[in-house]
Amino acid sequence: MKCDRQTLPIAAIRAENPSLRTFVLETSLKAHPGQFIMLTIFGQGEKPFSILDVTNSSCSLTIKNIGPFTEALFQLKVGDLLSIRGPYGKPFSTETGRVLMVGGGFATPPLRFQAKALQELGVNYLVNINGARSADDLLYVPDFNDLCHRSLIATDDGSLGHLGTSVAVMETVLSEESFDHVYISGPEKMMQAAAQVARRYEIPFEVNLERYMKCGVGICGSCVMDPHGFILCMEGPVVDHEILEKLSEFGVYHRDKTGRITAL
Amino acid sequence: MRFLGKEIQSPLTLASGILGISFSSLQRVIRDGAGMVTTKSLSLEPRIGHAGPIIAEFEGGLINSVGLTNPGIHDGLLEVEKFHKEFAGVSIVSVFGADPDEFVSLAEAVNHSQADFLELNLSCPNVADEFKRPFALIPEKITEIVSAVKTVSKLPVLAKLSPNAYDVAGMASLAETAGADGITMINTLGHGMVIDAIARRPVLHNNFGGISGPCIKPLALKLIRDVYLKVNIPILGTGGVSNGLDAVEMMMAGAAAVAIGSAVYDRGLDVFRSTRQEMEAFMAEHGYADYADLIGILQEN
Ligand SMILES: Cc1cc2nc3c(=O)[nH]c(=O)nc-3n(C[C@H](O)[C@H](O)[C@H](O)COP(=O)(O)OP(=O)(O)OC[C@H]3O[C@@H](n4cnc5c(N)ncnc54)[C@H](O)[C@@H]3O)c2cc1C
Ligand SMILES: Cc1cc2nc3c(=O)[nH]c(=O)nc-3n(C[C@H](O)[C@H](O)[C@H](O)COP(=O)(O)O)c2cc1C
Ligand code: FES
Repeated sequence: MKCDRQTLPIAAIRAENPSLRTFVLETSLKAHPGQFIMLTIFGQGEKPFSILDVTNSSCSLTIKNIGPFTEALFQLKVGDLLSIRGPYGKPFSTETGRVLMVGGGFATPPLRFQAKALQELGVNYLVNINGARSADDLLYVPDFNDLCHRSLIATDDGSLGHLGTSVAVMETVLSEESFDHVYISGPEKMMQAAAQVARRYEIPFEVNLERYMKCGVGICGSCVMDPHGFILCMEGPVVDHEILEKLSEFGVYHRDKTGRITAL
Repeated sequence: MRFLGKEIQSPLTLASGILGISFSSLQRVIRDGAGMVTTKSLSLEPRIGHAGPIIAEFEGGLINSVGLTNPGIHDGLLEVEKFHKEFAGVSIVSVFGADPDEFVSLAEAVNHSQADFLELNLSCPNVADEFKRPFALIPEKITEIVSAVKTVSKLPVLAKLSPNAYDVAGMASLAETAGADGITMINTLGHGMVIDAIARRPVLHNNFGGISGPCIKPLALKLIRDVYLKVNIPILGTGGVSNGLDAVEMMMAGAAAVAIGSAVYDRGLDVFRSTRQEMEAFMAEHGYADYADLIGILQEN
């Protein structure tokens, strides 16, 4: 059967802020924005992570230290071995008209990759709204400045940019300018709010979802979403507004690591 | 066609442990052309299962050591109830107990659901560290568990057997004598190991796992034939089926219905629709009117 596992030494580690690090692997993996890989630390486990970027010779991931697996990852040094399989999942579409991106928290890596990909395709007009709790939590501010025609910032505490959420800024931007497409990546409640705004303005959009993933290849069932059995690891994680409309559990519940329904 | 008295739209069945955690994935497989769906094996309490990687690919198939991840019988049966709500489809609830008493409790719980069949997973190789030798390898345990469950179960009971037993047909015969209404076979083979040479490590976190997929098909066919010749109860065949011809072969060996597992990995959920079409094309070309005409018709040399 098909086998796409690669075992590679860590080529570089970059601290993005106190709790986020970017890990770079030397590989010629072909991947698109929105796709993810399953990452193994031998003896520790295997978890899904979005791809931050690929070049001809590298693949990088931006990871938050949030629990046992990521803590183990943060103990590793350049040269230590990691194993990846993938890329998996359906990437973002490639709209090159007037495009708005709305990001929240540490879910912005796929948007940075998307901004780069759309620039390479010659996007007409690209605006990014980068939201985080506080200035220290913002990711890739210079990159978004370089890659976008307009780059906005929103912080919950007002320490940088607009005071408030990226969704509030989105409201303002949409009342001022028109867009053909919106790409949204953030915590689920934030994406739910952003999706409502995009719907109100009748702009097609895509969101980047997360569910508990154990296999990544559509066999274990842990990521499946109700009510039609949508297999997020293969048919997502990027979901367009038409499919999202049918995912009744979006913003309401998910299944935990045993498969039990749990409120979000 | 019918399986144990239930009308099914095709003999194709979702094998236990493949996508079978939520009602929505079970319904989807029926919509894709399966006749029956099996839930993930449910235990009394929720189980997280093993850390990943839980699956590893190799040329001949997959090895897995999921470790019976499941939401527990209570939440699992909530999914089964949702599955049956305003929906026509035949369900098999797979259960896994640590001892005969647990199997009895599980069977009692399933009695109160709308499930069609009860499958006893006597053969999971992936929790041997926790539960010791799988029951399907111990003749007395097969008899004890199947008899105990049959005294309480209101549903037809399938005993799921392991290819690792020395005399699988003998084990099937014991299950039949104890009252089993059908046999599901085969569960995964081995343990096997897939090694990452660069890391000098087994790929699976649990080091080893059960082998499934195309490489176990010849073994499944032979064992199903042995059991078919030995018992008079229907066999739900499984092991390496990934296309219509595979399914036809398994029915000719003696399976009354055929479950698909690992091929979902290779061919996606479409495997149910395409396998069904391939079976029907074969039957039309070779003059078989009904799926049931295929069962056991193999002629040995
Ligand atoms: C498609 C996808 C892309 C992701 N991309 C990134 C990324 O780019 N950067 C990043 O830092 N994190 C990302 N995550 C989340 C990442 O998988 C978890 O942070 C990580 O698994 C935490 O493991 P832990 O043992 O450190 O923490 P735990 O204490 O085990 O868990 C902390 C949180 O992570 C979630 N989580 C744990 N295991 C999984 C799993 N197997 N699948 C999904 N969620 C899990 C839990 O719901 C929990 O809320 C992504 C998840 C998915 C599904
Ligand atoms: C990922 C995976 C999980 C499985 N989980 C279970 C399980 O919970 N209960 C069970 O009885 N069998 C389980 N099995 C075994 C299958 O139901 C099936 O018997 C076996 O894989 C052989 O069929 P196949 O070659 O079509 O996969 C699992 C198999 C795989 C690959
Ligand atoms: S993670 Fe296993 S089916 Fe999606």
